Amino acid sequence: MKDLDHTPAVPRAINWNRVQDDKDLEVWNRLTVNFWLPEKVPLSNDVQSWATLTPQERTLTIRVLTGLTLLDTIQNTLGAPALMPDAQTPHEEAVLSNIAFMEAVHARSYSSIFSTLCSTKDVDEAFRWSEENPHLQAKSRLILQEYNATADPYKRKIASVFLESFLFYSGFYLPMYWSSRAKLTNTADLIRLIIRDEAIHGYYIGYKFQRATEQLPAEKRDELKDFAFSLMFDLYEIESHYTAELYDDLGLTEDVKAFLHYNANKALQNLGYEALFPAQACEVNPAILAALSTDGENHDFFSGSGSTYVIGKAVATEDEDWDF
Amino acid sequence: MLDDGMTAGLDYHALNAMLNLYDEAGHIRFDADRKAAREYFLQHVNQNTVFFHSLEEKLGYLVDEGYYEAAVLEAYPSEFLREIWDTAFKQKFRFPTFLGAFKYYTSYTLKTRDGKRFLERYEDRVVMTALTLARGDQTQAMAFMHEILSGRFQPATPTFLNAGKQSRGELISCFLLRLEDNMESIGRGINSALQLSKRGGGVALMLTNVREHGAPIKGIENQSSGVIPVMKLLEDSFSYANQLGARQGAGAVYLNAHHPDIFNFLDTKRENADEKIRIKTLSLGVVIPDITFELAKKNEDMYLFSPHDVERVYGVPFSDISVTEKYAEMVDNKRIRKKKINAREFFQTLAEIQFESGYPYIMFEDTVNRANPIAGRITMSNLCSEILQVNEASTFNDDLSYDHLGTDISCNLGSLNIAKTMDGPNFGATVETSIRVLTAVSEMSAIDSVPSVRRGNDESHAIGLGQMNLHGYLARERIHYGSVEGVEFTSVYFAAVAYHAIRASNLLAQEKGQSFAGFEQSEYASGTFFDKYTDRDWLPESDTVKALFEGKDLPTREDWAKLRELVMKHGLYNRNLQAVPPTGSISYINNSTSSIHPIVSKIEIRKEGKIGRVYYPAPFMNNDNLEYYRDAYEIGPEAIIDTYAAATTHVDQGLSLTLFFPAEASTRDINRAQIYAWKKGIKTIYYVRLRQSALEGTEVDGCVSCTL
Repeated sequence: MKDLDHTPAVPRAINWNRVQDDKDLEVWNRLTVNFWLPEKVPLSNDVQSWATLTPQERTLTIRVLTGLTLLDTIQNTLGAPALMPDAQTPHEEAVLSNIAFMEAVHARSYSSIFSTLCSTKDVDEAFRWSEENPHLQAKSRLILQEYNATADPYKRKIASVFLESFLFYSGFYLPMYWSSRAKLTNTADLIRLIIRDEAIHGYYIGYKFQRATEQLPAEKRDELKDFAFSLMFDLYEIESHYTAELYDDLGLTEDVKAFLHYNANKALQNLGYEALFPAQACEVNPAILAALSTDGENHDFFSGSGSTYVIGKAVATEDEDWDF
Repeated sequence: MLDDGMTAGLDYHALNAMLNLYDEAGHIRFDADRKAAREYFLQHVNQNTVFFHSLEEKLGYLVDEGYYEAAVLEAYPSEFLREIWDTAFKQKFRFPTFLGAFKYYTSYTLKTRDGKRFLERYEDRVVMTALTLARGDQTQAMAFMHEILSGRFQPATPTFLNAGKQSRGELISCFLLRLEDNMESIGRGINSALQLSKRGGGVALMLTNVREHGAPIKGIENQSSGVIPVMKLLEDSFSYANQLGARQGAGAVYLNAHHPDIFNFLDTKRENADEKIRIKTLSLGVVIPDITFELAKKNEDMYLFSPHDVERVYGVPFSDISVTEKYAEMVDNKRIRKKKINAREFFQTLAEIQFESGYPYIMFEDTVNRANPIAGRITMSNLCSEILQVNEASTFNDDLSYDHLGTDISCNLGSLNIAKTMDGPNFGATVETSIRVLTAVSEMSAIDSVPSVRRGNDESHAIGLGQMNLHGYLARERIHYGSVEGVEFTSVYFAAVAYHAIRASNLLAQEKGQSFAGFEQSEYASGTFFDKYTDRDWLPESDTVKALFEGKDLPTREDWAKLRELVMKHGLYNRNLQAVPPTGSISYINNSTSSIHPIVSKIEIRKEGKIGRVYYPAPFMNNDNLEYYRDAYEIGPEAIIDTYAAATTHVDQGLSLTLFFPAEASTRDINRAQIYAWKKGIKTIYYVRLRQSALEGTEVDGCVSCTL
């Protein structure tokens, strides 16, 4: 469809049987089997656990989730759609539309958590906070600037990867932390489903960035790399303030920062760049790092729904299968 | 070795999580977990345990403050109490893993009423369980304590959690209730679900007899709303009732595959199910008769029958007739309303839902009833699909009182640790003692809030002796799970357990001069049950397996023949003896692999509401014997089914059998495994579990449980 913008060519239907880049199909398949809705997670099982948090911890949790809602909203309505005009294949556009939709599901999910656990007043207060918090606003603005239609398409991808693979994680830390302390474990399940998606989004957009830039002249590539690192520095600066403001009272700031370093490196790696932070700055608390893996979890079905189920491939049985 | 500098300052959760991250040399950090267990005691348990100067002071306080039941202790002289406590503490019990210790102190041990301080150590819980169940018999109390503390026998959670406490839930694990096709029965069922959830224990209900959506009520067409609204009511009931917040109520519902609502029933677990019909926490089970497989083989349609009409035609509830036997007759009967679906499509839909949710469980109805030595019909299973017992419908008066009091099912469970039992001094005595412990639980239970359950228990004394740590044991002995030797061991071991379990129940019948109700009509009384043991040997054949049983007295054909005479003469005290549950929590405390399953991962990520995410290393595993710890996804469904089939032959009830698939599998793979299981004589299938490997490039670095 993108051809329409440039040439008066015949509108073309997408043909999934002629795939130019196998990665498109691989990621499409993965994203579709991973489809989920927040209703599947029994969040109400966390109501008792929520009551055990102190008022301060509750405020922090609501704020963190509101911050995440804002990022998902940006990615849903602006981020993923902004990448579509730059798509190299029609299949990439299809994948991006899936990404955009799932971001809407994520944004919706936080509201499910709020409506299950919190009072309307507290939530309204947190949304007001998110509009007024200078750090949250600053990082959103930095990203939005790059999503602008006139901006460089490569820089759009860089900003998008940073949002998907880096900016989310100061927020993801908290539910992972709670779940390692046996609190809000179903909320953590839901967040883990989001992490499962965002990991793929960041990886895929980064991959597309690498493919798009491999033919560029060296000086353009250098320029992009400089841009990426300088944007990362700016975002990191803001994230440090944001993290301190949120987590200082719980004494978790140092730990969250190690986690930020780890994920900043991951984001750069997705773009094909070397790590920024040395290994010793990335020593994430093992309880948080181990909490990120979604596969191999053996959950107790009676207290949660787990994060390993997918939509299966339906294949009819044949006569030979019924040989008895 | 762990570098202390590196782990300094880490709390026990972080140390435990290091299990899931390889060290620089690519080794699993077992010592980090041991350190986590140690730190947990130093940082948390020891500092939060109430201190007493002496046993007398402690017991006095716990009784006076209403924590311990005084009657339990009063049944013994104080010298004996001192002796049993001393003996227990001299064993120097230590938890080998962090999860074992953490799970015990989080969920089992007695705490002060504000939940902040511990009043018991592990030894205290074991001794109180032994004292409670031995009811004043000192020899038995000592024997019970030794079997439990040594780890050979582990009572199920409700027994181990509650025994000896003043305010407590029931000691029984599990309840199974019938629902009939009338409002009184449904109302009673919901009330019973509330009552039983309040007291702890999972509840399963059979919906097969409830008339379908659109069926007539009082002759007026299109009135009934079918089974879905009943499921909604039950789901809400279970989430309302929990044992003082200790344990969320949990329930399951079973429906026959030939019930007209079967597709709606399954669709409640769809990913995109509407909120009005979505079932989140209730577990589902489907009862499948042989005829469904026959129809699928021929690729024919399968008819679904209105339970309301079937009951009118045959005069008994739908569940009490064999669909396989009456199928052709019902298809031809004009008085039975029916609709049809394609049989293969049914199986495919089943597998699709299992992909999305892990549900439903499956009970192979005809297999179960063929193997049942007791007179009557088995129509359903329970929340963990290992209980298989006969039941009988109740009828009600208008005021909800009983017109006829039927029987419903309860079961108390406990499992042997196969490795510890094989290491133990006396195999037969371990099994016998376990049967006595479980019988005591049955005798001490009287569920008055659900009279049909009480009657069922009083008349049957049904118990379920389970097994766990099969994979751990085989791996320690350097035998692969599912190998020829592994399957051979399973067969010999379970045959020996069956022998000693029946022997023990026969001894109980002799001592008490009483057998379970209906013994005379059973295959035990006629002796035909024993044919398979007197017609052939169940002894080891390979040298490897012979070596494992060296020095153990295994029952021969002659032993079995003698036992047959004793049983035919004196009877059996327990109507049901064995059932192999999935053993979640207790296998962590007991340092076992779950049930007779393979491990799910070398380092298992365990997630539960109360403990959060914790990491658990497979028992006896070290960096040198990793090859024997292939996980369930690598081993594949066939080897698991072969192992279970070998055990099933010797288990009078069922075994919770989970099937494991990679997420890349298709519904056809699941269907093929189900067909194979049915063909091999498996009685029930529990969950289907899936594992999705991380997309390359998105994985967590150096993670042990992650698969690529």
